[in-house]
Amino acid sequence: MSAGVRHNVSFETNNIVLIALVAIRSIRYSKWRRCCVHGARLRGFLLEKINFLTSQYSSFAKSPFVDKITEQYNYEITKNPTEWKFVERLMPFKTIPQVVPKESYPSGWIPPKEEARKLPYFIPRTKNYAIPIYLQLSFKGNRKITQLKKIEGDIWLMNDDIKHLLKTKHKRYVETRVHEVARFIEIKGDYVNDMKEWAFSKGF
Amino acid sequence: MGSRQVIEKSLTLLRSLPRVSLNNIRDNPGSKRTQKRGRAQHGGDKHGCGNKGSGQRQNFMRIGYETGTNPFYLRVPQEHYYKGHHYRRQYPPLSLRILQEMIDTDRVDVTAPIDIASIVKTGLYNFFPDQKHFGINLTDEGADTFEAKINIEVQWASELVIAAIEKKGGVISTAYYDPHSLFLLKNPKIFFESGQAIPRRMIPPQDAIEYYTSAENRGYLADPDQISQARIKLAQKYGYQLPIIENDSDYNILSERKDPRQIFYGLEPGWVINLKDECILKPKDEELLRFYSL
Repeated sequence: MSAGVRHNVSFETNNIVLIALVAIRSIRYSKWRRCCVHGARLRGFLLEKINFLTSQYSSFAKSPFVDKITEQYNYEITKNPTEWKFVERLMPFKTIPQVVPKESYPSGWIPPKEEARKLPYFIPRTKNYAIPIYLQLSFKGNRKITQLKKIEGDIWLMNDDIKHLLKTKHKRYVETRVHEVARFIEIKGDYVNDMKEWAFSKGF
Repeated sequence: MGSRQVIEKSLTLLRSLPRVSLNNIRDNPGSKRTQKRGRAQHGGDKHGCGNKGSGQRQNFMRIGYETGTNPFYLRVPQEHYYKGHHYRRQYPPLSLRILQEMIDTDRVDVTAPIDIASIVKTGLYNFFPDQKHFGINLTDEGADTFEAKINIEVQWASELVIAAIEKKGGVISTAYYDPHSLFLLKNPKIFFESGQAIPRRMIPPQDAIEYYTSAENRGYLADPDQISQARIKLAQKYGYQLPIIENDSDYNILSERKDPRQIFYGLEPGWVINLKDECILKPKDEELLRFYSL
């Protein structure tokens, strides 16, 4: 808790210099200079004052207008667990917290089911416990592609199931693209909500 | 002055100065020489100005000037819809549905008051104070399915959002933070590690005072009596039974508020947090106490 140099030249001191300068000028060019003895005396007094105020010091920090610098402020060190709780609350998560099972999830988030691991194909959740099904827009939103990522197991069987499901639901042929190495399926068109609904029903 | 005095003096000076680092050192005096423009055979050719014309004669035209023709920047009529947009305060939205999802997936702790620090901590909210972001705008998407009982502090909220939270027995308040304190709230750990004292929160600018002093917006500078009246009024408008907070088992959580000068819950301005030794340094100096109490 150390402070830097505080230049405490007051506003008033600066004002005095200004007023004095103006006063000297006005005395010099006014009739008071000739006719009044007091004018000359006043002028001498003001000049003396200005010499004091504008005299040169070896450095600004050594001038009488600067306060002495405080290098160390007085403080106390406390260790209070009740206060430290507020600090701990602000610290970032070291890992993403595990979801504690609850009775209901009002937001519509659905926890994955263990039984889904036994299926011939599987989609694991992302690190944020979301299902990796996304809508990819390109050509200024003209081309819509639904992408299912991170697919494990029999990707071709999953492709057949998806195609069959969408054909029966929408009564039209749906184009898909399977990338076996990168483990994703792309469907031409926006079927994100259908696919999410299907994935949750499977327990992914 | 003897050399011993000089050494002692420089040592005391060093103690009060910051640590020597890359950003406060400079080259030795006289170690660098600026290059002079060569004349004639000593490199006096074009000096990077090219051949002929504006560049060589250095009669730089003003920006946008097209040597007499109607310039492009005047050819198109002006449109003032976005005038001053770069000064306007931005409030990135966060919907009630996403807030509920954060609570469902245990990203947000309901047993403590929620503020911008706990929302940013989830890592699911993009917040950049340097891009004129001034906090959270809590939007009403998912207001019908919102179930959590929370004590939340946001920067902007609509009437429906306030109703949705108060219906479930929660408390909402809107509070202003200046950009500097928002930087601290975005990443408190980095700030504590820097070893600086927690500053005071600044008061809202002139055009935001009306919002944050109004009880309808649950402003943090509004009269508490007027807020409790506004709560009853809103419950009558939306037709729900207002739960009584005083009888609630979580009254301590719901009644926790920050001081208008406070940035973090439970931590006062002027304190220095030492994360390494897990202790708090509190000022006792009269001068500092006066400064931070303002």
